[in-house]
Amino acid sequence: MEARFDRVQFAYGDQPVVDVSDLRFAAGRVTALLGPNGSGKSTLLRLLAGLERPRAGRVLLGEEPAAAAARTAVAYAFQEAVFLSGTLRANLDLALRLRGLPRSERRDRLAEAATACGVAHLLDRPANRLSGGEAQRANLARALSLRAPLTLLDEPLAGFDERGRGQMLEELPALLRRFAGTTVLVTHDRDEALRLAADLVLLREGRVRAAGPRREVFASPPDPETAAFLGYTLIPTDAGLAGIAPGGLRPGPGDFMLTLHVEEIVDLVTSVEVVGSGNGERIAVAFPPHLPLPAPGEQVTVSAPTEMVASFTESAPKTVDSPSRAPVA
Amino acid sequence: MEAIWDGLVEAFRLIGTGDGELFSIAGRSLLVSGSATALAMLVGVPLGYLLGRARFPARTLILAAVGTGMGMPPVVAGLVIWLLLVRSGPFGGFELIYTKQAMIIAQFLIATPLVIAFTAASIQALPARLPDLLAVLGAGKLRTLWLLAREARLGLLAAVMAGFGAVVSEVGASMAVGGNLVGDTRVLTTAIVTETSRADTERAIAYGLVLLAMAFAIVAVLTVVQQRTPR
Repeated sequence: MEARFDRVQFAYGDQPVVDVSDLRFAAGRVTALLGPNGSGKSTLLRLLAGLERPRAGRVLLGEEPAAAAARTAVAYAFQEAVFLSGTLRANLDLALRLRGLPRSERRDRLAEAATACGVAHLLDRPANRLSGGEAQRANLARALSLRAPLTLLDEPLAGFDERGRGQMLEELPALLRRFAGTTVLVTHDRDEALRLAADLVLLREGRVRAAGPRREVFASPPDPETAAFLGYTLIPTDAGLAGIAPGGLRPGPGDFMLTLHVEEIVDLVTSVEVVGSGNGERIAVAFPPHLPLPAPGEQVTVSAPTEMVASFTESAPKTVDSPSRAPVA
Repeated sequence: MEAIWDGLVEAFRLIGTGDGELFSIAGRSLLVSGSATALAMLVGVPLGYLLGRARFPARTLILAAVGTGMGMPPVVAGLVIWLLLVRSGPFGGFELIYTKQAMIIAQFLIATPLVIAFTAASIQALPARLPDLLAVLGAGKLRTLWLLAREARLGLLAAVMAGFGAVVSEVGASMAVGGNLVGDTRVLTTAIVTETSRADTERAIAYGLVLLAMAFAIVAVLTVVQQRTPR
């Protein structure tokens, strides 16, 4: 199922929250909504789920308004796992019952999703007594068991400890392929978005700053602010600003060179970062273990290959709001 | 001490022999207070739900007013209803003063703030995302209300207990608007006052025991229902 925002504006009271001219979530693909806190990511998800009505414009699931279609077409895993009292089995069963599924199908789907999400052994436990990680897996199992045409996941990896998060990050792509159709997930974590999604939508202040296949979006951020959010290192140049993609700066000469005045060496145990100033900016460069480390006060040449450098000649931020640039996929 | 003992013996004799007047008054108490509590639930639960869920400018003010209503002396509620229903009052034409209906209205006024406050608190205690979850899963409005009420059942049953407990034990409002008419508007609490003033302590104790037993039985049943529900 394709989902689409058509000239959508939304506000809480007088406070505009979302202003999206045209945005499509292509059928069958996983899209990550990425942006800082307060950028409107979760509101976009709520609009897709029909929980909020746009003040202007239309949110369409297929050809139907989201408010009408969401009840049968959407599965939504909220960031905070919420359950009714009773066992996890009763909670998962209620979700399927509300979708009008017969008992035998409910039993099969419930068992399948619970097993796939690793919560089958918790089915007869009170849902409200599950631990954080268990509850998030159960939350995901409930959404995936619906096998909805559109699956919405709000920060699906929140609530896990580091080990659990790593595991889920590995399992989630396969789970989405198996149970979900079109998927839109919200995250503020760049690596999570790049790992899970085929397409990225970058949001800031309720507007789409960039949208498209992740490689394209990541390779050409539209403005310095977006580049900074994606982890680019911004360096002033004669022509304006240069953005170096994460991991792009290396010791030694290359296409885009600058001199680094070393200030400190940061030992991160698994790697070493040389931190200093270059062109007036504080810059950190990862040094491979085989290279001799410079001492604080020394100057070293560092560089980045052209393909990892984005140039910004204007400071005014651009907004992706034309149909020709906005479609994802 | 002897008077108390004699009173208890006589009270149990009245109860044991199925004294007609005693059980007629007890039945009337149950009817008036039960009706008032049921009406208070009917009005108070939806209002409490709204106050617990909705956000609007006057909400805090209304919650404060409801809180004040919880502490309203029954005799003041009685006075208000008396002023409205007395023959010269704005609703005097309905000729409800000194009837069971007037007592139900007064007790309704006493119980409703309690029901609203308990309901609002229990709805507010539910996870904020629960209504959204039910909406996304496809539950209609009525189904959502039912499921939320089921989740808030501990608070809602507490509302019934608080409402019924408050009205079955009040005397001021019933006396003011019911008039304590024999065989018509006399209920257990007003009967206790009457028998005490007549120095008929045996009957007063019997009425008191029945009142306590009735309140205990109803609250006990509700408590069993409340505590049996799984979390």
